[in-house]
Amino acid sequence: MERKMKLTINDYKTDVWVDWCPGCGNFGILSAMYQALADLQLEPEKTVVVSGIGCSGKTPHFVNVTGVHTLHGRALPYAEGIKLANPGLTVVVNVGDGDLLGIGAAHFVALGRRNVDLVVIMHDNTVYGLTKGQASPTLTRNLQPKALPKPNIQDAVNPIGLAIASGYTFIARGYAARVQHLKELIKKAILHKGAAFIDVLQPCVTYDNIHTYDYYNKRVYDLQEEGWDPVAKSPEELPQKAAQALVKSYESDDRVPIGIFLVNPNVPTFEERYSQRLPNYLKIPPAREPIEVGGKPVISIEKFKDLFKKYVIELR
Amino acid sequence: MIELRYVLGGPQGGGLETTSEILSWAFSKSGYGVISDREYFSNIKGRHSYVHATVSATELPKHLSYPVDIVAAMDAETVFTHFNDLRDGGYLIYNSDDDSVNYAGIPSMEKDLRDRLGAQFKGLGLDGTVRSVVKYLQNSRKARVVALSFKELLMEIQKREGIVPSQASRYISTILVGAVAAITDINEESLDYSLRRRFTREDVYRHNKSMAQIVMGLVKGQFGSELKLEQPRISAREFLVASGNDAIAMAKIVAGVRFQAYYPITPAADESFTLEEYETLSGEGSLVVFQTEDELAAINAAIGAALTGVRSSVATSGPGFDLMVEGLGWAGQNEVPIVVTYYQRGGPSTGQPTRGGQSDLLSSVFASHGEYPRIVLASGDHEEAFYDAIDAFNYAEVFQVPVIHLVDKFLANTIATIPMPDLNNVRITRGTLAPKGLKVYKRFDLSSVISPRAFLGDYVMWYSGDEHDEYGHINEDPVNRINMFDKRMRKLDIMEKEIPEERRFSYFGPERPDILLIGWGFVKGVAVKAIDELNSEGMRVGYYHIRAFIPFPRESLTKLTKEVEANNLVAVEHNYMAQASRLVTMNTGIMINRSIVKYTGRPIYVHELVNAIKNMLKGSTREVISYGA
Repeated sequence: MERKMKLTINDYKTDVWVDWCPGCGNFGILSAMYQALADLQLEPEKTVVVSGIGCSGKTPHFVNVTGVHTLHGRALPYAEGIKLANPGLTVVVNVGDGDLLGIGAAHFVALGRRNVDLVVIMHDNTVYGLTKGQASPTLTRNLQPKALPKPNIQDAVNPIGLAIASGYTFIARGYAARVQHLKELIKKAILHKGAAFIDVLQPCVTYDNIHTYDYYNKRVYDLQEEGWDPVAKSPEELPQKAAQALVKSYESDDRVPIGIFLVNPNVPTFEERYSQRLPNYLKIPPAREPIEVGGKPVISIEKFKDLFKKYVIELR
Repeated sequence: MIELRYVLGGPQGGGLETTSEILSWAFSKSGYGVISDREYFSNIKGRHSYVHATVSATELPKHLSYPVDIVAAMDAETVFTHFNDLRDGGYLIYNSDDDSVNYAGIPSMEKDLRDRLGAQFKGLGLDGTVRSVVKYLQNSRKARVVALSFKELLMEIQKREGIVPSQASRYISTILVGAVAAITDINEESLDYSLRRRFTREDVYRHNKSMAQIVMGLVKGQFGSELKLEQPRISAREFLVASGNDAIAMAKIVAGVRFQAYYPITPAADESFTLEEYETLSGEGSLVVFQTEDELAAINAAIGAALTGVRSSVATSGPGFDLMVEGLGWAGQNEVPIVVTYYQRGGPSTGQPTRGGQSDLLSSVFASHGEYPRIVLASGDHEEAFYDAIDAFNYAEVFQVPVIHLVDKFLANTIATIPMPDLNNVRITRGTLAPKGLKVYKRFDLSSVISPRAFLGDYVMWYSGDEHDEYGHINEDPVNRINMFDKRMRKLDIMEKEIPEERRFSYFGPERPDILLIGWGFVKGVAVKAIDELNSEGMRVGYYHIRAFIPFPRESLTKLTKEVEANNLVAVEHNYMAQASRLVTMNTGIMINRSIVKYTGRPIYVHELVNAIKNMLKGSTREVISYGA
């Protein structure tokens, strides 16, 4: 494909109408995404935005890179399948809090264990917007956003804490109204080698009258501005670092930290682990390997017998 | 003899698999055809497990039958569970140290069996000990009894080979090998070949060989070689001896699979294990085998991988497939080539996790909400499964649809001699691919039913589970909905045209049969054998084998059934409802009113199928058969 010298933010926009509610926090996330992609000059064909279901699920249609809009809760398995079959692609997942921590929680934990090199951006608005404001897994107990008939009876999960426990190697929180800050987080997450998770505080202007822009503007503070160094410089340093990051992740009520909580560069990516076992894995990824020659399998009968000799019985 | 049947039994984890492998290899090395079914509980160690085999001098057998010529028992439970399976004059090989063990005191035996045995023993006037059963077999059933004191044999091998007592019990499996080898007069070179193949450590090989020889000497001295098979009359220079799991794994590698995702489940998981063993394709490539956190992740990761152009599949069983159904619909909506190898087992729910069945046919034909085209293939034996696994990938890519490849536990865990595949006739067809260098790429281009496929990384494109436009963007326009829906569904017509009818069925038997059996999957081997038997008695019975359910072999079945009296159509299946017969009706309008079904989780045996067909001739319309432990 012909390529302009430099891609601009507009090159990363599609002409699909963005049908989120006016004022939705998702606009800030989308804007940060456009800017991050343009800053990094990511090739649209080699970049894949994967999403689940709901308002966040529509994100790929608004971004002019390859988009895979999947099933509720299942964005991560799709993203992992794509990345593992073709590690040359840059994969960024946009999912909701219900998507990731409700129906998809097992996948969230599993991705941390694997440390596949992809980015997960969670649109965290404490409600299920597209189904009219039910409580999401990040809504605190006893809160009652306006759509709920009764106060929330379930406790909230701590996404940053869960990410730490699951083994993510880049863990951050952004705020949809601080687009420049979020853009930098997204860029760092993309450049990070390994599973990166960004929890993005994202006001739902229609259904959540509690976590408003005003609510966050008063409480949000930047960890890095307060001098927090998130990097675990060695495996030995990780437990201490992770414990401190976990303490920070429990701060809420009056002060809500954003920024990078933890970076752990000491764990091999899943792709590196496969490379250990499969020497040609990164050089010729599975998706790019030839499987036929002139319509015939690359495995000839001689090769077949050699490969599967333990099943072959030769008679006299 | 031209056909030998045996049962080898013992506790799960007791070395039975070793016994079975060594014998299967030895017989096939001598040129005989072997099929060896494995039956076991959902248990790691201790429950009763057995191997039931047919060895043939004239064919590569695909059927099993009772009674057997040999019952070889590692433990008392096997004697009690299988003494009824032995033919008159057959051989019982057992551990005489167990003589005083009473059936009532065996904790691993299920209460139901104990109650049935109790009633039988009472009727026969037996006291319920192994000794009483052995006496009964000798006196009333003319059985030849090979009584071996395992304790003495293990002492002997310890002495001879200097093995420490704690290790001696490992050689029990070879005691059975030696005894069966003696009675059947197995070619010694072939046996040696098998032992070497099985025991790669020199000392372990030597000890096992020594044990086999001790037993062979003992048994041969006492008995002749009455069960010696005739010289084999199978013309082959080589065989594959493999389980269904392994045969399909090999086929997938030939087909070019480069991504397989799975979540552990019996009896599918062994296939993924085998693939992982070959993940480097001997140094040249990479086959990513991805063990996921659950089946939801498995299918969706496999679909994600398929979008990148890789040949991608999953292997699962009923409970796992249920979880995959949601992803299957996404693949259908997005025209993703994905292969699901579906190893059926007994359901519903966890049902019988380690037993076989064919009860998931309707579930796979109709799985998931909404309408979308798919292909459903069903294999009847190892050889079919091999080629079907390759076709599955070709069809998936050519028609851009999910393909479900139905097999079952019987096939999965049965080891068989398989002819060396003919790879010269294997084709890899990847379907319509988009050319490079297009200005604009539309993944769901409406100018053809099957839009040229591009892989992620080649062009910018979109996918969505929502109804979408040609680019893949969400679109709820009613006219677009019709266009996109039609585009997908018209593939059914194309498949109907392009997949030859002969590919979807096979027929065995006389041209105009009086009775027509209709079956699928593992029924094939036993049905073919049963009609041979019946036809040799002067009857005219045919067997119509369905090998594809979508697209359905409508024409051939309609034509054939017209020649048979409506009342003489008989469904033979491993499920309660005779599910395939309902699909026959749905596809052809022909009603099949008679059925022979088995849903005990054990395979249908030749003798019971023959009996059931004879009963039908006396007027019965439904036969539920149930032989087997």
